[in-house]
Amino acid sequence: MDYTKQIQEIVAKLFAEDKIDVFAGYRMTGFDENQVPVLIQSSGEVSRLVFNDKSVFNLCNYLKYDHTRNKRVGLVVKGCDSRSLNLLLTEGQVKRERLYIVGIACDGVVDEQGNKMQNCEECMFPDALVYDELLGTQHPEGKYKVNSDIKELASKGLVERRAYFEEIFESCIRCNACRHSCPLCYCTKCCIDQETSKLYNGANNTSSAFHALMTWSLHLAGRCVDCRNCEKACPSHLPLHLLHKWNERVIYENFQEHLSGVKEGDRGAFYKYSLQDPDDFIM
Amino acid sequence: MNVEIFVTDKAGLQKFYEAIIAKNETYAPVEKFGKFDFKHVSSLSECDPDSPIEKTMSAKPLFFPRSAKILKYTADSSGTTVKETDEDPLAGKRVILGMKHCDARGLQVLDKVYNWDYIDSDYQKRRQNTVVISTRCDKAGTHCFCTSLDYDVQNLDAMDVLIVKGQDGKIFIKARTEKGEDFLKSNPIDSANSKQHPASEEEMKKQYDAFAASFRLKMNYKEINENLSKIFDTPEFENVSSNCIGCNTCAFICPTCHCFKISDEKIKDSGVRYKCYDSCNNGYFTLMAGGHNPRPAKYRRWRQRAMHKFVYYKERFGENLCVGCGRCTISCPVNISIFEVVNQVAKSEK
Repeated sequence: MDYTKQIQEIVAKLFAEDKIDVFAGYRMTGFDENQVPVLIQSSGEVSRLVFNDKSVFNLCNYLKYDHTRNKRVGLVVKGCDSRSLNLLLTEGQVKRERLYIVGIACDGVVDEQGNKMQNCEECMFPDALVYDELLGTQHPEGKYKVNSDIKELASKGLVERRAYFEEIFESCIRCNACRHSCPLCYCTKCCIDQETSKLYNGANNTSSAFHALMTWSLHLAGRCVDCRNCEKACPSHLPLHLLHKWNERVIYENFQEHLSGVKEGDRGAFYKYSLQDPDDFIM
Repeated sequence: MNVEIFVTDKAGLQKFYEAIIAKNETYAPVEKFGKFDFKHVSSLSECDPDSPIEKTMSAKPLFFPRSAKILKYTADSSGTTVKETDEDPLAGKRVILGMKHCDARGLQVLDKVYNWDYIDSDYQKRRQNTVVISTRCDKAGTHCFCTSLDYDVQNLDAMDVLIVKGQDGKIFIKARTEKGEDFLKSNPIDSANSKQHPASEEEMKKQYDAFAASFRLKMNYKEINENLSKIFDTPEFENVSSNCIGCNTCAFICPTCHCFKISDEKIKDSGVRYKCYDSCNNGYFTLMAGGHNPRPAKYRRWRQRAMHKFVYYKERFGENLCVGCGRCTISCPVNISIFEVVNQVAKSEK
């Protein structure tokens, strides 16, 4: 999967036709195979852009910063990224008319060791769902599967599961990189920040991490698109996807097979009311 | 100080470590989710003192904890009373195994700021009660540049005992401070295996040369110090920080970043006050009570971080606030390299 040339051509054209002010893409780090997200502001920089299976970071995250606010933005989205973009559009965070979306029919991306990412192995929507231009050949839509991690987690009892998560959160350093790297966490004031909230905080210890991360994951329940930006951002390598995948399963099973961001205009599971919603259910 | 250098082999070093762990309160890198963090250990099998630099968190939290209790209080209608916490920051002696040289340098840098206008007694106590055993890396990591900064990696005063792995499986152990000498006396190296070697210093130097030759990055820090101090207003800061997501990770895992905030945990009438990590990349960092924020934009916060590392701290204490460990680059979610950024900015014209 290498669309470097196509993307460079598209972006050069967009700048030439004055359709965008800034383009969010990827460039090489310059010394290894990994990539750095880059915001390009003129046609002169277009040659820096690349796209291949190392283009991991979900660029929709940049739609919430000053560099792109109120500007005409072009960006590359893979399948998972496009789902988060759908949610941002639905939730009124960006306007469709100021975006130019280069969609990718994604064959899956790889981690730093070169192994295919776990979420790509089980990806249901590899192709961009919202785009102005699509690169690559389209894939058939996948089927919903509960992965082995979650099955294992579900086999544990409530007490055991809590202990398991407490052990994970013990390594949390409360840097909030997970929150910052999440494309769907756009609140300017967040309840897990120690500065703005007195709910769970005080110390940077396991109990505060437990409450903060649980709250954070519940705010993303029915919205998380499994792009794994949070997990890649975590300096302690915590398996944060467990929280989100757990919620995803609960919501899929209880809320009419809801999957977030699949259709434009489809709101998160907790944002819409339906008579079929269960009321005997506690998370 | 002319001290003897003990020579031993891998088995001897293992025994030395095991004896230390059995006898002392020991902290060493413990692996969890593929990342090593310094934790209390009770056997050598739990930890890996030779953990690779790229996967090891810094040992800073053992001296400057991620959150520390500073006081307890009760506040009700009858008034406020403040009590000292009953938790002693560190009463007992302890040993740290497998600390990297860059972390040791980080401690020296922190010593200066904690001994400056206010003497942080908790930090001092932790420093005095700790014996640091530092193992020299065999090879530089991808983002390391410690050898090209303003310190001599071979001679760091914060290392009490230095361990160097030489050629042919020889391992050199040397006390570097009085604390280290006393420690080696009370924790002797297995005498059957250790013996004096006349050319030890030279062999250690040889190991260092091979290590120094493995660096990909070389920084001309003098040029960077000088250029950065002149270009406060350069627009280049805006360019280099455009892809930063402002997540604070770089500061939280940095061995020298020392900013903190005070936060309270209050239940009903009583509470505990904590000192927790904070970062200048955090938008709230400079927010004042009246609502004014002197660093509202991301690039200003980024500039502060770069300038503090390479200009302000240097002006005040004569040293760079960066030890060249590359941890911020490794942990950055978007792979921003501080080496690359400061070089790029220093080259820019005003």
